[in-house]
Amino acid sequence: MKYQSFVGLEIHIHLRSRTKAFCSCPAHFGDEPNTNVCPVCMGYPGVLPALNEEALAMAYRTAHALGCTLERESFFERKSYFYPDMPKNYQISQFARPVGRGGAFEFELGGGAKTLRLRECHFEEDAGKMIHAGEKSLLDFNRAGCPLLEIVTEPELSSGTEAEAMLRSLRRLVRHLGVCDGNMEEGSLRCDANVSVNTEGAGLGTKVEVKNMNSFRFVREAIEFEIERQTKALDEGERIWQETRLWNENHGATATMRRKESSHDYRFFPEPDLPAFAASDEYLAGIASAAIASPLARKRALLALGIPNERADSIVEERGLAELFDAALAAGAEAAATATFMESDIRARVNRFGLSQVIERLDGPGLAAIVQGLAAGEIGAGVARAALDAAVVEGKDPRKHLEEASRSRIADYPAIEAIARSAVAAERDSADAFLAGNAKALSRVMGAAMRASKGMADPRALEAAIRKEIGS
Amino acid sequence: MSHLPPWGGILVGARLEAYSRVLEERERGLGAFLELDPRNPVRALDKDGKAATGALAGLPFAVKDNIAVEGMGLSCGSRILDGFRSPYSATCVRRLLEAGAACIGKTNLDEFGMGSSSENSAYKPSLNPWDRDRVPGGSSGGSAAAVAAGMVPFALGTDTGGSVRQPAAFCGLYGLKPTYGAVSRFGLVAYASSLETAGVMARTVDLAQAVFVAMAGRDPRDRTSVDAPGEEAADRRAHTGGAAGPLAGSRIAVPSGSLLGLEPGVERGFRNAIDALRDAGAEVVDIELPSLAHVVPAYYVIATAEASANLARFTGISYGARMAGAESHEELVLKTRSAGFGDEVKLRILLGTYVLRSGFQYRYYHKAQKLRSLIAGELAAAALGVDAIASPVFPTQAFRRGDPAMDPFMQKLADRFTCAANLAGLPALAMPSTLEGGLPTGIQLMGRAFGEDRLFAIARVLADHIPPAAPPLYSEECPA
Repeated sequence: MKYQSFVGLEIHIHLRSRTKAFCSCPAHFGDEPNTNVCPVCMGYPGVLPALNEEALAMAYRTAHALGCTLERESFFERKSYFYPDMPKNYQISQFARPVGRGGAFEFELGGGAKTLRLRECHFEEDAGKMIHAGEKSLLDFNRAGCPLLEIVTEPELSSGTEAEAMLRSLRRLVRHLGVCDGNMEEGSLRCDANVSVNTEGAGLGTKVEVKNMNSFRFVREAIEFEIERQTKALDEGERIWQETRLWNENHGATATMRRKESSHDYRFFPEPDLPAFAASDEYLAGIASAAIASPLARKRALLALGIPNERADSIVEERGLAELFDAALAAGAEAAATATFMESDIRARVNRFGLSQVIERLDGPGLAAIVQGLAAGEIGAGVARAALDAAVVEGKDPRKHLEEASRSRIADYPAIEAIARSAVAAERDSADAFLAGNAKALSRVMGAAMRASKGMADPRALEAAIRKEIGS
Repeated sequence: MSHLPPWGGILVGARLEAYSRVLEERERGLGAFLELDPRNPVRALDKDGKAATGALAGLPFAVKDNIAVEGMGLSCGSRILDGFRSPYSATCVRRLLEAGAACIGKTNLDEFGMGSSSENSAYKPSLNPWDRDRVPGGSSGGSAAAVAAGMVPFALGTDTGGSVRQPAAFCGLYGLKPTYGAVSRFGLVAYASSLETAGVMARTVDLAQAVFVAMAGRDPRDRTSVDAPGEEAADRRAHTGGAAGPLAGSRIAVPSGSLLGLEPGVERGFRNAIDALRDAGAEVVDIELPSLAHVVPAYYVIATAEASANLARFTGISYGARMAGAESHEELVLKTRSAGFGDEVKLRILLGTYVLRSGFQYRYYHKAQKLRSLIAGELAAAALGVDAIASPVFPTQAFRRGDPAMDPFMQKLADRFTCAANLAGLPALAMPSTLEGGLPTGIQLMGRAFGEDRLFAIARVLADHIPPAAPPLYSEECPA
């Protein structure tokens, strides 16, 4: 028999607002348990929620970026269920009027792209965290009341690979929007999957919800496992239960958590403590004007400039880098050379000093000056790196550094000749190899000569002197 | 202000000692308080450690035990919050403290505000200072008893469906349910969020109004609270009247059917008040408000639906009483809630859960919301056309404790006059009329949104015609 699989995702992104959704506690991960709490997020008697409009604006901006129809009067509802980490035993969420409906998300898949339709995006508060420690269960309410955006997709993915690709692209989008850091391991990006398998052409099968997948790889593996499990069950004529299953990363398998999820009655009703949020024309215009170029559009622009796929990825991964790239091009740098320099030297400094330090201290014209100097052969890689470090480490203008370097540059031909002569003598084997036809061997001689000059020799003059000395 | 003596300085020195002794004695007779400590009142201090000076400087007051006062209990009359101390103060309380008042205790109530007699308290009943065989009303019965007995000049209650006005009527007091949103709900333990407000009970119009003014105004911690619109604030004037009487030019509407099913005493008290208003120059007109027939069912569907979610937080996990011997979360919640809640609370949670079930919402909850819109629209329109809508407060005078005729079902049916104001969000003031059979009667005036001051102005005129009386046993505010 031929089968078809349907995968829909429910994705929670933790919105990076300074404070929680309905109180003024810091919305911050990693602090001592139960330190970012107050009577409001602990659900004490008598307290009321007060909407964090910064967080709601992030929700609207994300829904806008996903092409959703934005709700002009979104309101909040109570979703009732008893759970130990839910302080009020209802969650303030949205149901009838979520911030956004419809929409679609285009993501890269293999060499191409796929568009996944979305059902809705709704704003809600997070629960706390329960930690089981032997006989005890411990509760940490730091996360309780943090703002979340839940994105619900149509069940139009067909594999774990597609789900992983979609999530990775979405992660990039929310990071570019600055609304979420996208960290699955820390739980700031979470994903549950609805998986069903049916005979081809027969529509959706029995829905199984898969939870507890806290990495991109686990999402792929869990969905692949589940598709295989259901396919096998159908082959053997077994019944597929509508249920919730948990991914167990140690066993590489899903296992039943609870059956008959549909019997849950959340008894939604409008939250009487919060007025509806009226999104005026001005408000929605503000959301639209804060829109950014999507990472996918940016990547396509880079590919169109002839930049190789992985190099384009490394630039587009961070919005700050993509903007730095654009700014350098606007300042006159050439695309391929800029991309090459960014992938190697700038990436290394991002890893070492952090993205924010790099993009705060290095602007487009500064980067363009370095790349143009390299491309024109006016400076070598050493000077380029030194100029970059002058900016990133010392906070200096790299153009100033390049000017100083050019003043102390060794362009005096007899001095260059002397350096070349001793370098060829020291690297005789490489020089011979070059003469014998190994083109790469020249760079070893160049490197030794450059080091001897402390990076100050004019690279073009030096190379000419070396070639002459070798006698090529 | 006229309300200051004899209360000014009562919390100081020898007067405090005398006051404390009188309070102890009266409390023994009435059971109005769940917590009472005049020697250690909660008050606001300025940065030099001096007591705040304001419109209410030096006045002691009592707070219903479902309103948060930092450092005091917050039992809501329920076992499930036994021993809980509030880590914060309600906004309305904070504003009174900042105006110089001092909280000396927490008063008894029907559990979570659910009841009309204060007999549904898990701790004790409170007695009516006019006749200790009778209830003081509810759910803010402890507050009403304390004020009527002269123990405090004013007290706070909460009013979800009449819980300030009905006990005020039973005890011969002024009881204001403000416009929804006029006073912050932050710190009121929620029973039915979209219906309830904090309210005030006092023996004089002036003091009731001063307390309301001190509490009112937008609070960023309650997003449903608002400042009174400018034109209503500008209307804070005594009505001028003229030669034909102080209420000349005023129109007071009486809904048809207001006199149906009233006890004779209540009817006489109501007629006396209407006659007095007419004597003062008001034009009294009949009005048809057909939607009033739907008030009680709409009210109880919405109130119980909201209550079922509001009371879900009480599980004994992070605060409150927790029952021992549970092996799982589910068992812990079950045991705590089974033992912690009283029957009336359980009944309302069950009802609310039922009306919110998916697939049944259109039959109950949504239908009730439609009725509410209808009622609110009809009442708001009617209120705009007149100065006040008058009705009895409750069909009976203070009933006897344990009266089988006033079972919980009858008490709910009797809420029709008061609940209408909560469904419509309009202000309503209960004020004393004549004594009948030695017990107080009352009349309710409902006004337009944010029209509290107009209601107070009419109440002042009525007080000139029918002076409020004090219970014979407690005729002196203490210590005079």
